[in-house]
Amino acid sequence: MQRSSSPEIEIDTRRADTVRRTLWYGLVVVILIWCAVIPVFDGNLSLYFAMMMWVTLATGLNFIAGFTGYMPFGYVAFYGIGAYATGIAVKVLGMSVYLAIPFAGVVGVLFGLLIAPTLRLSGIYFAIVSLSLAIICQRAIALMPEEVTGGSLGLNLGVVTVREHGYYAMLLILVAALLTASWLARSRLGKALKAIRDDAEAAEALGVNVTRSRLYAWLLATLFPALAGGTQAWFTGALDPQTAFDVLVTAKTVIYAMAGGLGTVLGPLVGTVVLVWVDELIWRAFPVLNNFLLGAIIAALILFAPRGLIGSLTRRYPRLRRYIM
Amino acid sequence: MTDAILSVDGLVKRFGGLVAVNEVSFDVPRGLIVGLIGINGAGKTTLMNCVNGIYHSDGGRVVVDGHDMTNHKPHEIASLGVGRTFQIPRIFHRMTLIENLMVPVLGSEKSDAELTDMAEACLDRVDLYPLRGNNGEELSGGQQKLLELARVLMFDPALILLDEPFAGVNPSLCRIMIQQIEKMKQDGKSFLLVSHDLTSIYRLSDQISVLNQGEIIASGTVETIQSDPAVIEAYLGN
Repeated sequence: MQRSSSPEIEIDTRRADTVRRTLWYGLVVVILIWCAVIPVFDGNLSLYFAMMMWVTLATGLNFIAGFTGYMPFGYVAFYGIGAYATGIAVKVLGMSVYLAIPFAGVVGVLFGLLIAPTLRLSGIYFAIVSLSLAIICQRAIALMPEEVTGGSLGLNLGVVTVREHGYYAMLLILVAALLTASWLARSRLGKALKAIRDDAEAAEALGVNVTRSRLYAWLLATLFPALAGGTQAWFTGALDPQTAFDVLVTAKTVIYAMAGGLGTVLGPLVGTVVLVWVDELIWRAFPVLNNFLLGAIIAALILFAPRGLIGSLTRRYPRLRRYIM
Repeated sequence: MTDAILSVDGLVKRFGGLVAVNEVSFDVPRGLIVGLIGINGAGKTTLMNCVNGIYHSDGGRVVVDGHDMTNHKPHEIASLGVGRTFQIPRIFHRMTLIENLMVPVLGSEKSDAELTDMAEACLDRVDLYPLRGNNGEELSGGQQKLLELARVLMFDPALILLDEPFAGVNPSLCRIMIQQIEKMKQDGKSFLLVSHDLTSIYRLSDQISVLNQGEIIASGTVETIQSDPAVIEAYLGN
């Protein structure tokens, strides 16, 4: 077939793919090496743990919000359930914490499967139902017998292992989340999900099984917050219903992911790293005005870059899209 | 007996008290183009939505290639080789043109590289190849119509439902679309074509059905339809 293209464009496309892959994996490797050596230099372990956890949560949220357009306002439910699954596994079932984390992931996914019928809803209805389920989870756990969940006071896990082990567990989960995201972005499932996000009815008319694809994305989105919640419980050694199901966890995750740009692999990573650092810097320089300044920065970001840092960059400079995953 | 790729038999669709499609029956013979015309609100798009499963019908049957697909899900109907375009283009705005074309073939056993080559060839057929790396949202309305057509080419369905393919498209893009439709017909594809553009529909269609207030008031060849008093009345009034 006679193409209207020039050979240069073909070469450029292939080179762009190579550059994109190299950039992405290079960036991930640098970040991971950086995070991996922090405990060796006795750096600010808690800050880096928190950053890795937020990146994991934002990446997990991206699977459902960025790739399919579903915004789960009750996303914290999976984080809280993961935390409590770990707590109960360690304190009540006497399980090793190393087994308790995968157990938390399984429990999170099973809970996701249980409430998967809510995916029949869309838009604000799904968001509200999701938020309600998170509140129900919080109340239910607070009302459960103290010997199981610790009631409203929560559970004190104490020092389960050395703290660094929890840190490295979070690093592993982060790696898994980023690898899953980069696989999803390149996979056929990822393309199906993006099509569903843009127009579910048209996607279905073109042969995409919308229900099944959404379910896969949903289950992926439930796995990582459950793992992160479990590891957070391990790292801090304590959990209670108020903090484990704090709606602010959802809010911060959404803000971080949106700040970078939903729907891209890089967006949630960049948004989280930038905002967590900005938060830290503001807190150090202006402890009293911390929340005020951070709020103003986030408002400005949403106002001037509604698609997030990465999304707005690629919209302004479409050629960059080739190099960004 | 005609070898019909699509048979619609007594199809009914109601929205509350409004009967949008009332006992409609027609066939699309294999390898032919059946045009469906009618004034605004006649029920053309509703009928098309019932055929490809977007709407659940309230009565009647839709048989695709011998399979009763009444009220099946759209992706199940698509899997039998039914592709469609929409009156208002429904492309995937935040996906590149290449990605847009990959959507209908996600279940294919071909490799991604092969599918990318196919997608590029399809874009080339509708003169959109140079824009293949752009997002759908960066196309004009006419180009979006062409992208939808390219998506159908990529899908390679046996039956193609085209809903107002020429609406809002400038004459040069319209020419490209007509050429591609004629080429696909030569390749043995069958069409149900809904259009307000009577010139194009008369040129392309082998048979025409006229829908008025949810009912088919006339069917036949172009010549028959052009001289049918009921059709003239429906379009021009008494």
